[in-house]
Amino acid sequence: MQLLHLALKNVLRSRHRTWVTIAAMAFAGCIMIFYASLLQGWLRSMERNAVDMETGELQIHAPGFRQDPDLYNVIVDAKGVIKRASAAGFICAGRLLGSGLAAADENSTGVSIMGIDPGADDLVTRLHAHVQAGRWLSRKENNGVVIGSKLATILAVRPGSELVLVSQAADGSMANDLYTVRGVLQSVSREVDRGGLFMTAAAFRAFFVLPAGVHEIVLRRALRSESLTAATGRLRALFPNLEVKNWRQLQPTLARLLDLSNVSLVILLLITYAAVGMLTLNAMLMGVFERIPEFGVMKALGFSGSRLFGLIVLETVIQVAIGAALALVTGVPLALYFSVHPLDFSFLLRGSSTIAGIAFEPRWYCEVTGHSVLLPVLFLFGAALTAILYPAVKAAMIRPVAAIHHR
Amino acid sequence: MKRSALLFLFLVLTGLVAGPLFAQTADSDRARAILRKIDDLWRSTSSVARLKMVVKTEHYTRTLVLDSWTKGKEKSLVRIVSPLKEAGTVSLKNGNTMYTYLPKTDRVIRLTSGMMMGSWMGSHFTNDDLVKESRLADDYYPEITYEGVLDGRKIIRLALLPKPDAPVVWGRIVTTVRAGDYLPLVSLYYNEDMVLARTLTFSDIREMGGRKLPVVLRMVPADKPGEYTELTYEAIRFGVPLRDSRFSLLQLRRR
Repeated sequence: MQLLHLALKNVLRSRHRTWVTIAAMAFAGCIMIFYASLLQGWLRSMERNAVDMETGELQIHAPGFRQDPDLYNVIVDAKGVIKRASAAGFICAGRLLGSGLAAADENSTGVSIMGIDPGADDLVTRLHAHVQAGRWLSRKENNGVVIGSKLATILAVRPGSELVLVSQAADGSMANDLYTVRGVLQSVSREVDRGGLFMTAAAFRAFFVLPAGVHEIVLRRALRSESLTAATGRLRALFPNLEVKNWRQLQPTLARLLDLSNVSLVILLLITYAAVGMLTLNAMLMGVFERIPEFGVMKALGFSGSRLFGLIVLETVIQVAIGAALALVTGVPLALYFSVHPLDFSFLLRGSSTIAGIAFEPRWYCEVTGHSVLLPVLFLFGAALTAILYPAVKAAMIRPVAAIHHR
Repeated sequence: MKRSALLFLFLVLTGLVAGPLFAQTADSDRARAILRKIDDLWRSTSSVARLKMVVKTEHYTRTLVLDSWTKGKEKSLVRIVSPLKEAGTVSLKNGNTMYTYLPKTDRVIRLTSGMMMGSWMGSHFTNDDLVKESRLADDYYPEITYEGVLDGRKIIRLALLPKPDAPVVWGRIVTTVRAGDYLPLVSLYYNEDMVLARTLTFSDIREMGGRKLPVVLRMVPADKPGEYTELTYEAIRFGVPLRDSRFSLLQLRRR
């Protein structure tokens, strides 16, 4: 108690120094919270673009379909699979995949045709929220399609335009029909941008004369608490005769890129933190060395070395606590502000751009997580206490006579 | 004496050198003549034909009835007569471009070069087969590789290698024809890696439209030996006067 009293008194005595130290720590902490939140947000947005946009967290295919996307290679009992997966805690939607030729006036190009169930698919992916112009498919859409952004440019169409699709139906006949463009997507991924054409599953079945089965089932965990690996394993055990893959396996390049970003995030944080540590160390050293004659007097009066050590540590803890509190008070609102109002770099990126085939978000949102807030605070404490160790030990070991005469 | 010796030497040398040379040109002339014969077998200044096409794949078997018109080397038009669902669908080839008219949507689509190797009307023939038809003699160097008796028939076998700048997709075509009348029997198509891609068999040689020709053409893809497309000429007439306008884009929709 006496020690705490002393420590407080010491902290308050030299206000200038104390406030400079606290301000330095608060500033560093605030920046770290903001920076960590920003990187977290960026990583999350990349992952979300990859996963939520189109891939889903997990996918089920008939064996061999991914190597050779054959119209006939369907998951026959699609309803049963979806039912069982739903019961096992997955949100899922079936998809039909085909290819064909899209033509509008003089322009024509190859397209990947995707038949989806808008009601179910919207719960698994966020494609429906990435419409740039026009609107997303409604559930009862017989002749409406939504297409990728570059495809719209290639065909020179916009919402309301008509396009002709030609392909070969499952019964060998020539599939051809006229469709109206309902919407144009934002940048999603290289494939979707260039050749993605979405229609309802019912329209797909009518076009390709494919009465039953689906080519792909996209899934999402109902509860995020289960790890992706565990969920994949569980699903695999459930459907041993089908190919179950999670997005990390479906998009290994992206998964590796995100892992790498995670590592670089840690490295960047460590560098920032090290700088903060130096700052704290400097302030602490100053505070201790300035007061060496004073410590000499205290020791001469019978203040033991261990108590002196305790005093200095306590002083530091008080300062860090205030600094951390200030960092939280400033950093969290800052990060929260940018989680609503993003840093907008879109003026640097003309049109859309992709990294590893995934749309790159030009707007950076902060994402405030326990991770991005607590880690900087903990590190602040750690850095300050580590930094104070050397001067505190030095003070505790000092010989009173030498200290009193220290200049 | 000296002079006659020189003359003798001259005769021997020219004989040695020119002999094979003459033989070779004669041979390749004949080879080219065979190609032209194949090229023009189903066409003339013009032709009108009714065909039946049977497509058998792992998943379906379908029968289509087609009407075809050709004029010269550049123009051809094929229209589906049945089944009803696709009736009226037209493929028009004019020079090197190909259009498809789709009655269901009332649209004409120009096929891009990327589509040329795609299946024509769901068969094992490609769009390219239709467009490049009758140009063997222009695009390939023929060489007679075998002449003799095979399975009791006198045949000539030709190896066709594409000319360096020819816009073709095959690495090699091996065609076997009857020795007497040069009627084709079988053609083997090899891809650029010289792997057999498909086999086209000609059979049922008979008199039709005033000519003797094989009326059944059967295409079998090498990677799916159970599948085939069989084209049967049910009737053909040659030298029918046809107007150029029949092959115009405008005309496509009127039918």
